[in-house]
Amino acid sequence: MVGAPNWLHVETEDDSPQITTLSSCITLSDVQRDGYVRLLAADISLDETSQEPSATLKVFRGLKLKQEQTLPGIPAAIASLYIDESEPKTPVIAVAIAESVLFYRNLKPYFKYTIPALDSEELEQEVWRKLPVVKTESYPALLDSLKDIEHAKLSRKSQRLLQLSEEEREGFIATHKDSPVGRVGNIVAMCCLKRISSDSNPPSHLVLATDTGLVLILEPQGFNLVYEGRTCSHETAVPSMISVQGTFEADFCIVVATRNGGVYLLRKSHSEGQEVFKLGSPLTGLLLLPIDQTIIASSMDNRYVCYSKRGKLLYQVALPAPPVCILPLPLTHLGLTLVAIALKGGMVKFYLQRYQVDEFALEETVDAMLYGRMGMEDHVLTLVTQSGQIVVKILRRVSRFEPRPEDLGNRRPGGDQNAIADASILDKPKKSSIFVEQAAREKKQAKATYGSFQVELWRVRHTAARATIDAINSSESTISGDLTHAPVKLSAEVCGSGPAFRLYLTVQNLSTFKMASNLVVLLHADRRHYAIQQTLARLPSVLPGVPLRVDFEVVAVLDSMDKLPPATLNPDNSQIRVMLMKAGQAKPLIAAVVAMPQSEAAY
Amino acid sequence: MGMLHNLADLIKIKKDKMTILVLGLNNSGKSSIINHFKKSSEQTSIVVPTVGFMVEQFYSMSGVSIKAIDMSGATRYRNLWEHQFKNCHGIIYVIDSSDRMRFVVVKDELDLVLKHPDLSNRIVPILFYGNKSDVEDSLSCVKIAAALRLENIKEKPWHICSSNAISGEGLGEGVQWLIQQMRFAMLSNKDASKAKAKISK
Repeated sequence: MVGAPNWLHVETEDDSPQITTLSSCITLSDVQRDGYVRLLAADISLDETSQEPSATLKVFRGLKLKQEQTLPGIPAAIASLYIDESEPKTPVIAVAIAESVLFYRNLKPYFKYTIPALDSEELEQEVWRKLPVVKTESYPALLDSLKDIEHAKLSRKSQRLLQLSEEEREGFIATHKDSPVGRVGNIVAMCCLKRISSDSNPPSHLVLATDTGLVLILEPQGFNLVYEGRTCSHETAVPSMISVQGTFEADFCIVVATRNGGVYLLRKSHSEGQEVFKLGSPLTGLLLLPIDQTIIASSMDNRYVCYSKRGKLLYQVALPAPPVCILPLPLTHLGLTLVAIALKGGMVKFYLQRYQVDEFALEETVDAMLYGRMGMEDHVLTLVTQSGQIVVKILRRVSRFEPRPEDLGNRRPGGDQNAIADASILDKPKKSSIFVEQAAREKKQAKATYGSFQVELWRVRHTAARATIDAINSSESTISGDLTHAPVKLSAEVCGSGPAFRLYLTVQNLSTFKMASNLVVLLHADRRHYAIQQTLARLPSVLPGVPLRVDFEVVAVLDSMDKLPPATLNPDNSQIRVMLMKAGQAKPLIAAVVAMPQSEAAY
Repeated sequence: MGMLHNLADLIKIKKDKMTILVLGLNNSGKSSIINHFKKSSEQTSIVVPTVGFMVEQFYSMSGVSIKAIDMSGATRYRNLWEHQFKNCHGIIYVIDSSDRMRFVVVKDELDLVLKHPDLSNRIVPILFYGNKSDVEDSLSCVKIAAALRLENIKEKPWHICSSNAISGEGLGEGVQWLIQQMRFAMLSNKDASKAKAKISK
C-alpha cells in the first residue's frame, strides 16, 4: 500500500463506450482466434422508460467497441467456452436468457438449447383440457380450482391467465389452448466446468441453475444433460449464484447460494445439495476457492465470511461498506488467489485470506468486475462502474502481495487466547462406529480376547529371548569382531582343583593406538552348579599392548551330604559363559565359554 | 600523439563487438525487427514468440559487428532482462504503437529498466521503435513519446522512430543513430577511465 501502486491504470479516451452490466454478463474470449483476447459484455439498457428493456452483446478490442449484436432478451449470464478439441479451437459464446441457452459461434447464432419442462399438476392439465370447450360462465369456477395449486408450481400461461381481467380471458385461452402445459424454470446462473484438466483451453461443460431449484450440467457438443441435481429437498430454495470447482471427468463441487441466504453444496456423487451454512442477510457474492477449497461469501450486513465445506466458519472480516460484488484473482505466477471485493462507494479491496493486502478507490461504485487475460496482457482487471464507465487496471509485474505485519501481529494475541481456550477443552474423539462395535465384541468374547492376548504376549517374549541368544552366539569368539571399536582379545584360565576355583581372565587390546574403554565383564553360569560371588566387573580402560588381568572366585556347588556335585552336572554343561561388553551397547563384544574342570570333593 | 590515439581507439572499436539489448513487451515485434537485420538467406518467414532469449549476430552497413540479444517480452520472462544490462552497449526498446491499452505497461517496464543500478550510472543510448506503424489505429511516434513521457529521460541519449518490421520501413535509420551513439558513449567512457587513471598516477 506504500510506494508504487500494484495496479497500473489504463488511460481511457473521453469517448470511451459506456455499458450497463453485471459481473455474470461480462467475459473474455479470443473470439477472432488471433490471440488477442477481447472483452465481451451484455449491455442491458434499462434506463429508458419508454422502451422495453433490451440487451446487446458487445465485443471490445482493448477499449474500442468493435462489434455488437442484439440479444432476444435480458441475459442472466454469458460465458465463453470451448466445446471440442478440434483445431483451430473456436470459442463458443453461451448466453443464458430465460429458459434457454443461446450459443454463438464466430458471433453468429449457432444453437439454442431449452431446458426441459417440468411436469405440471394433473389438475392444471385437466383445467386446460376443459377451458377451450366450456362456456365463458364456468371460467371462474375452473380458475378458482387453479388457485388451489401453489402459485409457483403453475405453468407460466396459467399464471398469466389468473392475472387477466375477465374480458381478456377468452382471447388468451383461444390463442394458448394448444401450447403445452408445462413449467419451465428460468436460468438464473450459469458457469463453465472444465471437462478434463489441461492447461490450454480445455473443452468445458455448462453448469446451469434454474429458479425451480435445479442444477443441470449441459454437455455442449450433443446438447445432452449429463448431470441433474437439486439445490435442496424443498422447493422454496431458489438459487441466485453458483460457483464451481474441479473437472467434470474427475470430481467437482458446485456451491449454490439461494435468495434467502442459504448456501448448498453439491458433489459429483451427491446430486442433492447439503446445506453448508445459512446467513441471515442476503448474499451478494459467492466463491469456491480452488486451492484451499473454502467457500467465500459476501453478505449485505457488511461482512465477508469464509466457511469450510463442512460448514465451519473459518474467519470473517468486517467491511466498511456493503459489498457489491466479489471476484477471485488467481495469480498463478505468485501461487496465490486473492479475493477482490468491490464496496458501495467505489472502494475495491483485495484480500489474501483474512488479510487485506491492497486497495484502491474509484469515484463511484463498481457494479461488475472481471479478471483474466485481456488483449496481450495476462493480469488485467476490468471494472464497470454504476454509470457505465469501463476502468481497466493492469497488475504490475513486480507486485507482491503479503499481509501487513501489523495485521499479523494484531491477530496473534487473539489467536493465542483462542489456543488457550482450546487447550483447556480436551480434544475427545467422537465415538466412531468402529469403536462401538469393538467395545461390544470385547464384552461378548472376553475369554477368547484374553487368551489370544496371552498367546501374543508369550510370542513376543519368545521372540525377544531368541534374539538375545542369537546376539550372544553371534559374537562367540575370543577376539572382538566389531570394527568400530578397538579389537580386544580375551583369554581365560582356571586355577585350583575345587570346589573353589579361580578364574583368571586376560583382556588384551590388539589395537596400536585406540583405547578400549567402558568395558564390562559378565560371568554367567548355572546357579545350581556354580556359585559366583561377583558376576560383574567393570574394567578400567585397556591400553594397547598392556594386558589386563582380572580374577573371579568360582565355587562349585556340592551336595552337603555326599560331597558330590549335583546329578544334573555333566561334562557338557559344566561351563561358564564369559561376556565382554561395552557399556551402552546391547550386543556383547565377545562371548566366550570356559569349560570347568571336574571338581574334587571338599574335605 | 593525441590524435593518433583517438584514431587507434576508433579502429579498436571497429574490431569490438557491440552488444545491443532488444527489449519490449510480448507481441511488439522484437524478433521480427532482428529478423529483418539478418542476411536474406538467414531470414525466417514465420516468427514465433521467443522463449527466454535469442542471441543473433549481424553486421551493420558500416561494417560493425553487432551482437543482438533478443529478449522475450512475455510477462514471466521479463525478469531476465536485468541480467543482460551489465554488458550491453545499447538498447532497442520496441513498442507496439497500436496497443494503446498497454502503454501504461510499456511505461512501467521502461521505468524499471532505467532505474536499474546496472544502467542508471552509465551512458547507454536507447532507441525506441514505434513498431507496427502500418496498423490502422497506430499512434505516431510523437504521440508515443508524449504518452511515455520520454522527455523526462535526461541522462541518456534517446531517439524514437516509427517502424514497420514487416516491410523494414524506418529500421535502418534508427540503427544508424544507435551505432553512432554507442561509439560516442564508448569513447567518452574510455576518456573518463583514462582521466581517472591519470588522476590516480
